[in-house]
Amino acid sequence: MESPLHHFELHPIIHLSIGGLDLSINKAVIAMWIGMAIVFGLFMLVVRGGLSMVPGKIQSIAEISLEFIKGMVKEFIGDEGMKYFNFVGSLFFFMVCCNLIGLIPGSYTITSQLVVTGAFAICIFIMTLVIGFSKHGGHFFSILVPPGVPKLMIPFMVPIEVISMIARPISLSVRLFANMTAGHTVLAVLFGLAMSAPVWLGWLPFGFTVIINGLEMAIALIQAYIFTTLTCVYIGDVIKLH
Amino acid sequence: MPQFEQVSVFSSLIFWSLISFGLLLFLLKKYAFPPILEMLEAREKKIRGDIDGAEELKKQAEEMKKEFEKQLATAREKAETIIHLAHEDAKKQTEKSLADTQAKVKQMQREAEHEITSSRNKLLAEIRSYTATLTIASTEKILNRTIEENDKKRLVDESIEEVIKELEKTHASS
Repeated sequence: MESPLHHFELHPIIHLSIGGLDLSINKAVIAMWIGMAIVFGLFMLVVRGGLSMVPGKIQSIAEISLEFIKGMVKEFIGDEGMKYFNFVGSLFFFMVCCNLIGLIPGSYTITSQLVVTGAFAICIFIMTLVIGFSKHGGHFFSILVPPGVPKLMIPFMVPIEVISMIARPISLSVRLFANMTAGHTVLAVLFGLAMSAPVWLGWLPFGFTVIINGLEMAIALIQAYIFTTLTCVYIGDVIKLH
Repeated sequence: MPQFEQVSVFSSLIFWSLISFGLLLFLLKKYAFPPILEMLEAREKKIRGDIDGAEELKKQAEEMKKEFEKQLATAREKAETIIHLAHEDAKKQTEKSLADTQAKVKQMQREAEHEITSSRNKLLAEIRSYTATLTIASTEKILNRTIEENDKKRLVDESIEEVIKELEKTHASS
């Protein structure tokens, strides 16, 4: 039986190398592009179809999703939140399309790669630091001291807060990566079982793959939502400083 | 686990995912989000405006209703007064016409009674005078002549004729 982790392996489809850096295009990248094209295509369908005051079905979906992101941004970042709307919205739709496209058999979930989720988490972390420093200057360091802490405790609190700050991008990236990997692994294991078992028994794990696939769709959306929400929370934290 | 072992693909994955995200961000920011957000805002504004307008209209309608009710109450009051006055008027007129009629009737009755009395008196006077004339004439005839059985009728007839003549004379003279 094939290893359930085998399908996470990637092989270059188009070899590309710039300055000694391997930038070959593989299945994961293509799947991501297809997902992105679908998302952008759907949005264009809404916009080019002519937005009307009384929305149609597809316009309603687009509007609801943007309202949802607007609400999230306003809730977690505050009044300044709309400045980050484009970033947060794009991040959400990027994560949704990457997570969902991977559920198509033979496709690939790029968010099941820790380096990808890690790169995003680190970029977001750096972005929050930049926002924090540009907004508050040196005062930004006060984020390391929770309000109301006795002065005696500050030497202990600062390292703890530093660790918790550093843990943020790690947890952000690992959560998404682990969820995606686990889901796909479970699907691969169940499908492997269904394939290797005789028909009279194989329907059972196969049935489970169907159920788990439905669950994975929900997880794909939920994880994209969590990733985006936490990004908003982190941005909100550095803006509000507690 | 391939995600940790396949180090060779890391650079490509990181590069393309970040670049692709940047591209998606650019495209959505430029073409997709603004028109939809504008539409949302426009709708919100429109709904808010519609609600405000509706509330304004409602207020106006309530004011108009109050005004109408007031006018209606005044009109009803006026109508009642008019009806009352008309009623009074009608009553007065009825009473007046009744009194007039009664007075007229009484007058007519009085006149009739008076006429009847005068006619009767007149008739009685006439009858008295004719009777006297007749009696005188008859007595004259009885006294003057031997009345034969055959003459009796003729004498009476002559008396009557004389009375008639006398009557005619009286009538002619009156």
